[in-house]
Amino acid sequence: MSEPAVVFEDVGYAYEEAPHEAVSDINLRIEAGEWVGVTGPTNAGKSTLCLLAMGLAPHFFGGKLRGKVTVLGTESRAIKVIERSTDVGLLFQNPFTQISGARERVHEEVAFGPECHGVAPAEIEARVGEAMDLVGISALAARHPLDLSGGQLQRLALASLLAMRPKVLLLDEPTSQLDPAGTAAIFEVLSGLHQSGITIVMVEHRLETLCELCPRIVAMVTGRILADGAPQEVFNREVVQERVGLPVYTRLARSAALPAPRPVRLSESAKAFRTPIA
Amino acid sequence: MAGGLSLYQEGASLLHRAHPLTKGVFTLSVIALAFIVPSLYWILAIALILLILVIVAGVLRRLIAVALALLLPIAVLLLAVQGFANPANHTVLFAIGPVVYYTEGLYIAAIAALRITCLVVATFLFSFTTRPADITEALMQRGLSPAMGYVVQSALQIIPQTLDMAGRIQDAQRSRGLETEGSLPKRARAYLPLMLPLVLSSLVATQERAMALEVRGFGLPVKRVRRYEFADSAVQRVTRWALALAVPAAIVARLLGWK
Amino acid sequence: MGILNAFKVRMNTLAIVLIPVCIAIDWAGHAVASGLKLPLFLDSIGTVLGALLAGPWVGGIAGLITNFISSGTVDPIAAPYSIISLAIGFAAGIGGYYGWHKTWQGRVALYILIVLVASIGSTPLNLGLYQGQSGVPTGDAIYAALVKGGWPTWLAAYIDEASGDIPDKLITVVVAILIYFGLPNRYRALFSVWRRTGDEKAPAPAPSV
Repeated sequence: MSEPAVVFEDVGYAYEEAPHEAVSDINLRIEAGEWVGVTGPTNAGKSTLCLLAMGLAPHFFGGKLRGKVTVLGTESRAIKVIERSTDVGLLFQNPFTQISGARERVHEEVAFGPECHGVAPAEIEARVGEAMDLVGISALAARHPLDLSGGQLQRLALASLLAMRPKVLLLDEPTSQLDPAGTAAIFEVLSGLHQSGITIVMVEHRLETLCELCPRIVAMVTGRILADGAPQEVFNREVVQERVGLPVYTRLARSAALPAPRPVRLSESAKAFRTPIA
Repeated sequence: MAGGLSLYQEGASLLHRAHPLTKGVFTLSVIALAFIVPSLYWILAIALILLILVIVAGVLRRLIAVALALLLPIAVLLLAVQGFANPANHTVLFAIGPVVYYTEGLYIAAIAALRITCLVVATFLFSFTTRPADITEALMQRGLSPAMGYVVQSALQIIPQTLDMAGRIQDAQRSRGLETEGSLPKRARAYLPLMLPLVLSSLVATQERAMALEVRGFGLPVKRVRRYEFADSAVQRVTRWALALAVPAAIVARLLGWK
Repeated sequence: MGILNAFKVRMNTLAIVLIPVCIAIDWAGHAVASGLKLPLFLDSIGTVLGALLAGPWVGGIAGLITNFISSGTVDPIAAPYSIISLAIGFAAGIGGYYGWHKTWQGRVALYILIVLVASIGSTPLNLGLYQGQSGVPTGDAIYAALVKGGWPTWLAAYIDEASGDIPDKLITVVVAILIYFGLPNRYRALFSVWRRTGDEKAPAPAPSV
């Protein structure tokens, strides 16, 4: 079996001067090429999970880390964030704070990361073109980043990460500030990336979206993992229903008193409602 | 708003095409020389060279527009104060009642004003013909740290955004009844309510931006990639050295009694 | 170590990102003052704030580049005064290192130090550029009266300059300190790496650049 992409072993983490740990007792193993959705209510520790995998916690935030976070075979304590950035990318919620703020054209912005990595100019050009194509912003190449809409800007931020050729992509609610069209565009790009073998860990609170896209879901509550498995498995557990909520299809099936396992996706839902109850 | 701060004007003149470092060295040397040379004639000679270059660069009209607004009040203040009160004053030029105006002060003020004019014109000439991004790129190719390059490029983008936001906050606060006109104490009291929201909102983004930069490898100790090359030539290299050496040479000449 | 420790370069990404923001605050401070037609420059609030938050280098570099950008865009005469802005950032950084901004006596000391740095530093530049004038009409009127009254030009030049700096830096320091204490504790703590002295326990591994 090949090396896992992300491994958390008994991880606990408290921010600097915080009285409690933001996450505790995290054990998680994500294989290369998986697409894992992470969900849970506010303060569940979803973002902290991303920051830990990236190494920003503890390298950027200080604080106390227990246990071991290993990404692509290297423990997070042993590698700086800027070194980690060669293989791992993190997309934040807010598209505006993610642009470097130092470049006047979209294509120059995409080139920022590869330049920091010392990639050769010809190679940078190729990667920038490819990344802009992939997220569908090639037509905006000569625009000023700040002239873009929120959705375009988030795609730019994603292209900027893709130009660095990450093996693992962490996404912290990447579409929470986007309109439906922008959201659909981002998810389409992600589906393509998943097909090409990139490992994706995505925090998302829209459960329907998660179930539609991710073969595996991690549900978190107050800093701990509550359930981890295939969507249907996770959302058919009582405790998840109570503390995280359910996708709309599962909720409908539940109120219609359909028997478990209840559907989590639209397609299954249609089937479930058509099947006569035996 | 994009690049709203830069004075750069597209063009294809000799100055536009020159290496940014050549222009930079020229600007600094010419300014230094304007303050080192001993007499009015030398300063006028420098001013004449600058004027020719301004015409060559095709920026005369714009230069007059920006430089005049800056220089006129300074020249007036200098001429008024020095002609009236300078320790060297003794030849009366004219007198209006008790106010006596002297020739020496006028001459001294004129020289000072001309020197400042050279400084202003040389700097604007540089700004009109050089893209800010080219300045930082050229400096980084000569060893300026990428961090400092980032600071300058980023500041050039953030300043116009912040000024935009200042305008919006001013409108918003005024519509909530903040008095931004009237007596001086009233206007002064409006300062803090205008500044606070502005500063807080611009500071809040820094943390996320710093994280985002690290995620993109900003600060990795790699050999920096040249984003593009500037055309350079032997003539330009010689010019740079000659200009740079002219400054200490002029200082030595002054010390040896050049008048 | 003392004062030298304040100048030990501990630039992390956060500090670097703060510098352009401070530069923009310098500009905004001046723009808002002109908008309100206040007879003051108020163009170093970001410099002082940056120095209090993140140390003399952040403040100093912010001041320096504020002036460079001004001189390249709106006011070339600002260029020679870059060195003064650098010194103001350093001065505020030293005050901040010793925690002067936290006590009343300290705040007065910080203010006086900044006024002295600005006025003593600017006077020779004014003598070289403007024959000793400051370019501000009220100050220059004082200058003219003093020189006419037989005072030496350097002293008249100093008083001319100080007459502007005394109110200007008062508002600058007051506003910078008010903003500083208006920031959440957690936020201020983010920048505190530079205050650590050599023998304190190992700091949070700050991303270095």
